[in-house]
Amino acid sequence: MTPVTAIIRRLTGFFYLALLVAGLAAVSTMGIFFMVVSDLPRVPHPLNRIIETPPTEIYAATGERIMLLGGREAVPLSRISPLYIQAVIATEDHRFWEHHGLDKLRTLKALWITLFETGKIQGASTITQQLAKNLFFSYRRTYARKLRELLVALQIEARYSKQNILEAYLNQIPFGIGAHGIEQAARFFLGKPALELNLAEAALLAGLPKSPTRYNPYRYFERARKRQKIVLARMAAVGFITPREAQDAFQAQLNLQPRQADSRPGSYFLDVVLNILEERYGPEVVFHGGLKVMTTLDPQLQALAVDSIQSGLTRLDQILGISERNDNGSINSGVHPQGALVAIQTNSGAVSALVGGRDYSETEYNRAVQNERLPGSGFKPFLYYAAFEKLGLSPASVATDKMITIPVAGAPDWTPRNFNRKYEGQMILKRALMKSVNSVAAQLVERSGPAVVVETARRCGIESPLKQVYSVALGTSGVSPLEMASAFATFATGGIRHVPFLIRRVEDSLGRILEEQIVAGQRALDAAITYQVVDMMRSVIDEGTGAVVRRLGFSLPAAGKTGTTDDYRDAWFTGFTPNLGAAVWVGYDRGTGMRDKNGNGITGGRGAAPIWADFMIKATAGEPPREFSIPDDIRLEKVNPLSGTVAGARTKQSIQVALRTTEDGSNSPVYSTQAAGHSNIVEEDLSPAR
Amino acid sequence: MIEWAEPKNFKDWSQRVLSLRPILMTLLVCGVIVLEMRFDWVERALGAYLVSTNAARPESGTIWEKGRRTRTAQKTLEKILTDRQASEREARSAETFSQIAANLSADQGAMVSADRFRQLYLQMPPTVSREVISPFDLLAIVGSGSWRRTYFEKTGSGLTAYLLDGENRVLRRIDIPSGALRQLNRKDSVAATILENLPNFKKRIYPAERFFEALASFPEDIRRNMILHPATLLKSHGQIVRVGISDEAVAGFIEMGFESVDGAQHNVTLVQGHEWAVWRLRSHLEGKGSASQPIKDYREDRTPR
Repeated sequence: MTPVTAIIRRLTGFFYLALLVAGLAAVSTMGIFFMVVSDLPRVPHPLNRIIETPPTEIYAATGERIMLLGGREAVPLSRISPLYIQAVIATEDHRFWEHHGLDKLRTLKALWITLFETGKIQGASTITQQLAKNLFFSYRRTYARKLRELLVALQIEARYSKQNILEAYLNQIPFGIGAHGIEQAARFFLGKPALELNLAEAALLAGLPKSPTRYNPYRYFERARKRQKIVLARMAAVGFITPREAQDAFQAQLNLQPRQADSRPGSYFLDVVLNILEERYGPEVVFHGGLKVMTTLDPQLQALAVDSIQSGLTRLDQILGISERNDNGSINSGVHPQGALVAIQTNSGAVSALVGGRDYSETEYNRAVQNERLPGSGFKPFLYYAAFEKLGLSPASVATDKMITIPVAGAPDWTPRNFNRKYEGQMILKRALMKSVNSVAAQLVERSGPAVVVETARRCGIESPLKQVYSVALGTSGVSPLEMASAFATFATGGIRHVPFLIRRVEDSLGRILEEQIVAGQRALDAAITYQVVDMMRSVIDEGTGAVVRRLGFSLPAAGKTGTTDDYRDAWFTGFTPNLGAAVWVGYDRGTGMRDKNGNGITGGRGAAPIWADFMIKATAGEPPREFSIPDDIRLEKVNPLSGTVAGARTKQSIQVALRTTEDGSNSPVYSTQAAGHSNIVEEDLSPAR
Repeated sequence: MIEWAEPKNFKDWSQRVLSLRPILMTLLVCGVIVLEMRFDWVERALGAYLVSTNAARPESGTIWEKGRRTRTAQKTLEKILTDRQASEREARSAETFSQIAANLSADQGAMVSADRFRQLYLQMPPTVSREVISPFDLLAIVGSGSWRRTYFEKTGSGLTAYLLDGENRVLRRIDIPSGALRQLNRKDSVAATILENLPNFKKRIYPAERFFEALASFPEDIRRNMILHPATLLKSHGQIVRVGISDEAVAGFIEMGFESVDGAQHNVTLVQGHEWAVWRLRSHLEGKGSASQPIKDYREDRTPR
């Protein structure tokens, strides 16, 4: 055989081999085609049906919509800015108007890059293919899925006009952070309808769907800007705009809506609302039923609460000497303390604001409701109420602040210490609460027994498990800020308990009422004794452990109590005016103690009360002073702070106390019997509290 | 059949390759490719085929799943709404509070207008309605102008009504105990029997003459409370021979049985009186009290039940 014959023979061989392969490929393609077609999803008709799921809408108490779940806000193409349409077409599929579902040239190019340029993967999905994927398929990247996606795209192209396809695509495209469709996205990010988008805004939004998380303009503004530049360049390259216009648009100011995004105002609040709805109706109804939910959220108070928590914690960071942050500027939960704030309308139980952490985008753990942290001395008002009611004591009753040891059956003796390790001797109970004296509280709980303290807390609305131990009076059982705010509101209303609630009304999509909240108060505490405790808690703010509130400029009549736990793990302040109550907690998630650079601990008065004061000053701005109403059977008397006897003209630093008319104003003493009268009580947690 | 022979040299091979048939074939293939690139006929054909088979394919995938969930959600909502609306419809059409209580389930309340509550209240016998809420208290609430609606919920076997203002704040909570509800259903009745056959009356049966003598010793305003519907007795036939007083007080009322004889027929007519008044009458009958005894004494005097 000559060499030429050999070459010819080889070429001929290759030809027939290629023919065979092509034939086999054709047959297999046909086989695969018919196999795949049999279980391809049916395409709904009309295509707009994809956006018919009614959205669940959540409204604030002011009537403004604060969340849209499920559903889409569909708009016709005529209500979308042509600039945005051009931006999307230039970026995603510039031959959209020409192809029939598959851009072959782009696909071949992408195939070439994917196969022959190591480490690079090029996508070539047309808008129709993306629509098919979003409508029917998972995000798992497989060749089978790509093929199925392509076939559905071909069907969509064969059945619907380009306008129909584009409209469907633009109305379902995900922009991240719960925004689906261009109308929602335009309103969410830029606070305007899609029709009013200018070139810069259109380019910004057109860049997001490629990776909504990566290009989230609230978190990664510079990245989003770079992507915007790419979109503008594509628009210029395709000929929709001139390079000059692209440059001008890139330099134009972008006015993003005030930080909503992944830390929507009230996200912690909305999480609680969603949990409640899911428990009542199930997730399917919540996410697909098209509910209209009217909540108690006051957006203004919520914004103030977020601001107070964030600025308060930043200030606390400085006190603690923490400056480190992650590369992207986010905080590190291990290093930075967290906080929570709940504000409640005392006369109804409506929760107006709820913040469960310093930044929802960094941690969704809701410390306002999920955290059960020890309240420390924040629990003492329940103890004092119980002591007045069960033991017949009054704010003028005398106690001795001294080292005390209480025997506990089956456990070591309990020796609660004062926070500052000092003992002041004789004093009246009002002063003991004002100064948060632990030894006096211990004597009271020894006499009353922990059961009545627990019972009082329950009457006020504390629902967390409470240990029936002496130290419960010093706040050694965990509670949530929501519980504390709600329970203290019972004091604010003179003993009327309102169950806290976040949802006022739920309707279906047609406005038919599914449920309504009935605001019913029930008397839980005696009005006169409640006033006595409130009067004592006023002194905490006026001149006691919470005096920082007054120093910071909050001047309305208010009452409250600080709380700090062992080793400064938790700092609390819970307080109220006659109308508005709020509880603030700060601490580390891991429960480590908070100490400043000098080693001094962060107390409730130092860590939480300033946040409370900051919030309340802004929340009650412009409100006229309103006093707590004094029950008929209460009289105010000035007494000697040491002996509790009626103050004379020469009495120094007399204290005004609230006495029931049935009380003679005498100084009935609180004394420790040291008797083992509660031998069945086992003390478990004996941490000092303030 | 064309006989095939291997080309012997390059010239032979090139002649064969460049002959008409391969060229036409190549042109045809190229034409097909160009036409496809230009007109997308493969995509169109496949698309058209898929459109034709669309109806036979399964409703699967994200969007259909979502549709199913939406339908399930809507069914669930519809059921909740239907139950709620049924409760409210029944509450609106009820003629007494006891009918409302009977139609409510433990987990389903009903909202009615303030006017509806007033209508139901006015339909109650004054003796019972006063026990539910004083008409003067109700008048004060009406006068305040803030009462908009009333929400009913079942509490045990009784009924609780919340009078609400425009913001759903409870202006007044009214508990209607089961006894009062039973009272609403009850009508004075006549039974062909004797008092001994009615267990509640066995212990306290008095001759009619003595009963009416005791009754006559009380002032008119108290007697009105002792026998609330004397007309019922006046309508009965025959002569009243004995009177029994029930052991049981229900929602502030005590039943009395008046046994009459009409020929050979014995009938007992049941009539109600206010608990406090009947206890005074009973004390008087048993010689423990007199017509001038203060009204408040009756509670101390009564037999524990």
